[in-house]
Amino acid sequence: MPIRVVLADDHPLTRAGIAEFLRRESSLELLGEAEDGLKAWQQIQDLKPDVALLDIRMPGMDGVSVVQKVKEAGLQTATIMLTSYDAQQYVMASLRAGARGFVLKTVTPKELTAAIATVARGGLYLDPEVASVMGERDFDPEQLSTREREVLVLAAKGLSSKEVASRLFISERTVQTHLASIYDKLGSKNKTEALLLALKYGVVTLEELLED
Amino acid sequence: MLPPIAVLMVAAFAHFSQEQAIEAAVGSYVQDLAESMAYRLSTEGRLWNLPEEPFSSMARYRIFSWGPAIPGWVAYISADGRVIMSSPGATNIATLWKEDLPVGTAVRVKDREGHRYTMAAYHMDQGRGYVVAAVSWDQLLGGLVRVGRLWPILIVVMTLGSFLSIRLLWGYLISPLRGLVAEIDDLRMGRDILNTVNPGGAEEIASVRDALTRFARAAVDRDNLHNRYVRDIVQVQEAERLDMAREIHDGPLQDITALLQQIHMFEEGEDIPVRIRKVEYLARAVVRELRGLCDELAPPWVELSIANALTELAERLSQNYEAHVSVDADESIDLGSERTLSLVRIFQEAVSNAVRHGEATEIQGQMFEDGDHIVFEIRDNGRGFNAGFDHETLRVEGHRGLANMTERMLLMGGSLEVKSKTGEGTCIRCVMKRDPDAQGEMS
Repeated sequence: MPIRVVLADDHPLTRAGIAEFLRRESSLELLGEAEDGLKAWQQIQDLKPDVALLDIRMPGMDGVSVVQKVKEAGLQTATIMLTSYDAQQYVMASLRAGARGFVLKTVTPKELTAAIATVARGGLYLDPEVASVMGERDFDPEQLSTREREVLVLAAKGLSSKEVASRLFISERTVQTHLASIYDKLGSKNKTEALLLALKYGVVTLEELLED
Repeated sequence: MLPPIAVLMVAAFAHFSQEQAIEAAVGSYVQDLAESMAYRLSTEGRLWNLPEEPFSSMARYRIFSWGPAIPGWVAYISADGRVIMSSPGATNIATLWKEDLPVGTAVRVKDREGHRYTMAAYHMDQGRGYVVAAVSWDQLLGGLVRVGRLWPILIVVMTLGSFLSIRLLWGYLISPLRGLVAEIDDLRMGRDILNTVNPGGAEEIASVRDALTRFARAAVDRDNLHNRYVRDIVQVQEAERLDMAREIHDGPLQDITALLQQIHMFEEGEDIPVRIRKVEYLARAVVRELRGLCDELAPPWVELSIANALTELAERLSQNYEAHVSVDADESIDLGSERTLSLVRIFQEAVSNAVRHGEATEIQGQMFEDGDHIVFEIRDNGRGFNAGFDHETLRVEGHRGLANMTERMLLMGGSLEVKSKTGEGTCIRCVMKRDPDAQGEMS
């Protein structure tokens, strides 16, 4: 049974190129195309696709907001952000909104198929070009202490050290010490890398990210 | 000047007329008195056959016993000047009487003390004697004469006084005011200031002048600042355009040209898969370069939350500089894209300064809420400097960074404060309202 897909992008040439590939791929079925966020949201509600490919910058409603609506409506559709911008914060913002995948428009057909398949299964897919940290190094989640994991989950949700400190009833300095230790153990240079690695290694799950 | 001169002239004319009137009245009175006395004496003397010496019968004339009805005297004087008969108190007539006085007309004379009299004399008995009548101005007119003498003096004094006051008023008030008005008329706001030399006059005018000088100077300063600012903006714009053109020329343009060459060769039919890989490689390079250019012009990720945007920037800067840049900010803070962009630029500038001038290796940004305000602090471990500089001086010397950062904060109704000490790093503290439209003062 092919994976049912909806595609939304305001740029006609880009949309046509990706649509052509999606139609050609036998494991996928293109249910509909939308040129703005509002139409995309309408199609997702009407067609209930397995996967929605969403451009981030669209007129009417941006891609991240569509993802948020899908999450709030409790729909089963898995969302993948499709964008020209390689900023890691787009990845974090998309994941926090509820997206399961993030790919750049320079993606190869093979990678896009893999991405759609991965998120349809409930997995997480991040474009290697934007998440270059997603190395192949294995990591044992047991290396992190319970407190470190708690700090990591809250930081992944976008809370500042001050906020994390007040939630866990510890000092801000302690939070920063924990974070430094986490970066060190994960082998990351900064917070975003640490969060992406934690997601990749399954130390933090996408579901935890979305919990209130 | 005309009014006091006019008053003076009218006063002089009035005084003169008054003198004339008094003189005419007194003159005709004295003349009448002397004439009628002379006439009566001569006619009655003949009627009653007065003897040569008519002195005994003269006592019958009341006027010689009681004097004239108004203050004055009448006397019968012999040709050699002896007083033969006189009204009471008329002894002074003898001292006033001179042989050469004209007969028949009133004349004005003065005694030794300077008292004025009007006298008139008439012949009696074919020149054997004279009837002389005199009226003292002081006694006849008394107060009137004194006032008549006093008021011209008063008028002159008052006129001189008013003349002096007008002169003072002119020099002290009107002339300096006129000068000031003329200067203000010629003043080109924003370009000139008033003469620094105070032309004198009232203290209040000097104060007004000082205030105007301050205004004019502030306008000049503001215009200069504005002009420098505009020049800076134009220069920066031109420099950015040049940079951008160079980058497009050296980057995407070269790559697309190379890409076209690959396509041309492809049309000539060569090893197709290899050619396609080369084309793809070049196309990806163009995409990367254009993304970079977009980021430089206006980073699209500032549309994300302020925490996202600052984190993205910090991580990018960490890669570009040999320094560790980090940011701690709460995802829930929402400042809107305009303020986010301003803070991103401020952070960018601060990090650049810290690394280039301060040789910092650790730069940390922290954003937090403080009551109604949002605080963004940027600390570095660089060399620091002695704060206490002047933004304008920095700008003039070509260091636009700090001045621009401050102006960006001011534009969004916030403030920027720099704390630094040589050897102790630098802390830049930006404070702004959480809700920019809310009423209330900045703390």
